[in-house]
Amino acid sequence: MTTRKMLLIDTSLCTGCKACSVACKAWNELPAEKTQLVTGYQSQKGTTPNTWTYVSFHEKYENGKMHWLMLKLQCLHCAEPSCMKACSSKAIYQTESGYTLIDHEKCIGCGYCVTNCPWGIPQVDKAKNKAYKCTGCIDRVENGLLPACAHTCQTGAVQFGEHDAMMEKAEARLAEVKKTYPKANLYGDQLMGGTTYIYLLTDEAEAYGLPANPSMPISLSLWKDIIHPVGGIAVGAVAAAVGLGVLANAARGNYRRRVADNAEAGSHVDSYGGE
Amino acid sequence: MTNSWSDMKNSEAFLIAGSNCAECHPIAMKWINRAREKGAKVIVVDPRFTRTASQADIFAQIRPGTDVAYLGAIINYIIQNKLYDEDYVLNLTNALYKISKDYKFEEGLFSGFNAEKKKYDTASWGYQLDAENNPVKAAALDDPDTVFSKLKEHYSRYTFETAEKISGIPAAKIKEIADTLCERRPSSILYALGMTQHTTAVQGIRCYAVIQLLLGNIGKAGGAINALRGEPNVQGSTDMANLISNLPGYLPYPTNAQKTLRDFAVKHGAAQQKPMVALLKAWFGANATAENDYGYDWLPKSNPANSPTFVQMYGKMGEQFKLTFSFGSNSLISIPDCGKVGPALDRLEMFVVADVFETETAQFWRRPGVNPKDVQTEVIFLPAAFVYEKAGTMTNSGRWIQWKDAALKPPNQSKPDLDILDHIFKKVRELYAGSTDPKDAPILKARWDYGDPEPSPLKVLQELSGYDETTGKLLPTLGDYLKAPIGTVSTGCWVYAGCTGNGNLCARRDNSDPSGLALFRNWSYAWPGNIRILYNRASCNAQGQPLDAKRRLVWWDDAQGAWSGNDGADVVDKAKGPDTPEGKPAFRMNPEGVGRLFTASYTGGVPATPPADGLPAIPTRGAAQCVDGPLPEFYEPIESPTANVLHPSVSQVPLAPVVSTEIGKAEDYPYVLTTYGVVEHFCAGGITRNIPWLNEIMPEPFAEISKNLGKKLGVKEGDKVEVSSARGKVTVRALVTDRIQTLTVNGKETETIGMPWSWGFASLSPGPSTNNLTMAALDPGAGTPEYKCCLVNARRA
Repeated sequence: MTTRKMLLIDTSLCTGCKACSVACKAWNELPAEKTQLVTGYQSQKGTTPNTWTYVSFHEKYENGKMHWLMLKLQCLHCAEPSCMKACSSKAIYQTESGYTLIDHEKCIGCGYCVTNCPWGIPQVDKAKNKAYKCTGCIDRVENGLLPACAHTCQTGAVQFGEHDAMMEKAEARLAEVKKTYPKANLYGDQLMGGTTYIYLLTDEAEAYGLPANPSMPISLSLWKDIIHPVGGIAVGAVAAAVGLGVLANAARGNYRRRVADNAEAGSHVDSYGGE
Repeated sequence: MTNSWSDMKNSEAFLIAGSNCAECHPIAMKWINRAREKGAKVIVVDPRFTRTASQADIFAQIRPGTDVAYLGAIINYIIQNKLYDEDYVLNLTNALYKISKDYKFEEGLFSGFNAEKKKYDTASWGYQLDAENNPVKAAALDDPDTVFSKLKEHYSRYTFETAEKISGIPAAKIKEIADTLCERRPSSILYALGMTQHTTAVQGIRCYAVIQLLLGNIGKAGGAINALRGEPNVQGSTDMANLISNLPGYLPYPTNAQKTLRDFAVKHGAAQQKPMVALLKAWFGANATAENDYGYDWLPKSNPANSPTFVQMYGKMGEQFKLTFSFGSNSLISIPDCGKVGPALDRLEMFVVADVFETETAQFWRRPGVNPKDVQTEVIFLPAAFVYEKAGTMTNSGRWIQWKDAALKPPNQSKPDLDILDHIFKKVRELYAGSTDPKDAPILKARWDYGDPEPSPLKVLQELSGYDETTGKLLPTLGDYLKAPIGTVSTGCWVYAGCTGNGNLCARRDNSDPSGLALFRNWSYAWPGNIRILYNRASCNAQGQPLDAKRRLVWWDDAQGAWSGNDGADVVDKAKGPDTPEGKPAFRMNPEGVGRLFTASYTGGVPATPPADGLPAIPTRGAAQCVDGPLPEFYEPIESPTANVLHPSVSQVPLAPVVSTEIGKAEDYPYVLTTYGVVEHFCAGGITRNIPWLNEIMPEPFAEISKNLGKKLGVKEGDKVEVSSARGKVTVRALVTDRIQTLTVNGKETETIGMPWSWGFASLSPGPSTNNLTMAALDPGAGTPEYKCCLVNARRA
């Protein structure tokens, strides 16, 4: 039987070498994209249909001490994924291992997953009309290999294993890291039903440009859990799709506001989140 | 490295200074992190807050080129507060040795300076000798003539406050670094090009040796000076005589003053004569005999008056050099003051390049601003196989000679370097066949038997490992080479002796680690003699028993009557006890057998009475010498924003060769430039700038400047900035950052600008070359250019 997995991103060990991003592209056969430096050493603005993981850089200079925060971002594989809930074609599904995946046979590229992800992770390839994001290297994991990013990481910043054992490791590591970074915290285990990819952050989430309390947009819950079951029957599919579009836009506004709150922390999530 | 990558897990502290290992040697972090898990502290000293610094417990921003100042202050602090390891210093270093009464250091100059020749006569840097020519030792450290007293006096000028004034590192921070190193032993010092690319390079690293000897941190698991060598087999190529003054195995290169093998032996000692003969046997085989001095005559001799290093070579192209081969070198990008390289190549008759891609160097004839029609040089490009397309060895920084097979066939007509060289040699020999001209003899007499038609890299490795020349069989071990009479054995590189003696040991891949000290003795083969931690005799007490119960490397086993241990014992003879001349010295490669706090000029084993035959005596071994002083002294970089606080009249290293002709002044070029690589690109980028995935993650060069400087220049993050030196200018994107702070140096605000140098006009990701700005001024001993500091100006472009 497949068991729940977990990937721990220990930012206290990350040196921002971006090998994870290259390994991801190599394994998943994703082409390079033309970039320029965004800020500092960061060249990739966010996820794209061909960039499923990237590293963002955040500089914080306090009391004569420099903190250079580096964050490898990709799909967090939520236990309660809003992208799945928002998906208009039931293309998004979950695995027992804790992954949220897109079935590209079913995906119609509507982009609702894009607007409803609190981190703005999935991105639609406009030519193929399909949404793409990190697959957790399910093809590797199901064959006993580590995800490409974890496999390539030399510093131990990306570690993969069985959920419970990894969670224990994360807690132990947090206790250790807190001695040096009192604000250290785990990010993900309490969010969106508990994510499969969990972060050990050395500072508050906002310092990394992450939303502090991401949640499923209320409009989405309202639509999917209350209106949609009735609407789907009474009004029919065409009207439902129109209605969903309106609500999705509301959700997008909601997300944008949250990102604006984080703007001071130098967020890079916003640049792709709504585009 | 004295130790290895994996040994880093045994350290209690790290001083990473002159290395940005998280970026330039990422594998280091894997082992450093294992030590950190056990509480080890990381100190990073760098002109910028690097990605390595992001992992540091203590970070100090230093003005480029001032390492000796703060390291000297640490030496002073250790001595003044008696924080040194007294047993170690007394027994395992030359601290007690008495220095010649003629030795002096005054106003920035050591005794023996010849101002006209810009050279030192090193005679006054010697020991006081007894009637048997052995060094005289004092009874106590405080005898005024001892090395220790000289050290104490020399560094008494280096207070934390003076060091702060020079380096810009706050005095309190230097003390914190010193305390951390003193409290946490063993510690490992990591350095790379950040330390070597200065006119004070060798002396900076000598400071590391002095500190680690004082703290008792050499010869121990976790106690090390670790030079992080480049990934393209830099350790291996240095072992094979990459350096101008070396032959393979670090044998001194004979000069034209040493006309015979005996002259060579008189100069360098019997200890160098034997490997020299073994090398000549490897190269000339049966043609090398006792009667013909083993073919010593066939070895070209160097002329010290005209012996250009790599950087100086370009000035002599067209005159001294008419044909140049360039294998895997992108010198049009990588040479300091690189604007001079193109015109130099234009003066050649022929230029042969072997590379994977058509690098900037390969297409120098169509560099910007040049009409290819005007370049008369004949250029031949040979497509080379990539690293994974060829078999052979890569020697890592820990001296592990690691064999690899080819994973892929090289595409089309590209060939491994060995095949290219083998083909050229065989053709050349064919053309010389029958010649009686003496200058052709080395080519005709050489033993060249690596296989036909394709050469075998294993055969090359076996030649390095060595043969019993009387039977033609492989030499089983290093010990067999050492025991054999001179002239009966060959090794192409004596430190590699035995690496293929009992099968190809370099191909071993057993990663078991029974001691838990990450020695991995059955993984490949470490030179010499598969010793993983050099000088490990120093980890034992006088009785040969380990001092550190947690880190037991080697010990004398009384019952067996032999040295035993987790590592191979680094002693002259493993069957000789800890109190014998063969079992006692921890530093057996030094003629004194001890670590050298002061690099005295000294030759061991000079007989008191001259030989009966009237010829000069052959000593046992000469000591290595620093040409620019027996103790490290702080000198300003050749281009410096300030005067030398310690001795303004001798501000720079008086011996440093300055190749660049344009030297900038601080009033025109007020900022200090430092250059470096980034993790995303490799060296001159000849390969990595042709890999789209790597261009994606680091798409362009940049200049990092402080927020103060940004304000002053009116430059914001992302703006273009023009950086200029007396030698050239480039325009790149500005990164305005808190990771570089304005320093106060000698009472004046001083700005540092940081720029990576991996770009050039060709490839999938072209960009301006930073080395148009840097200066060709060389370390007087090593010849390494001062890439790490020069003066520049900057403006918004």
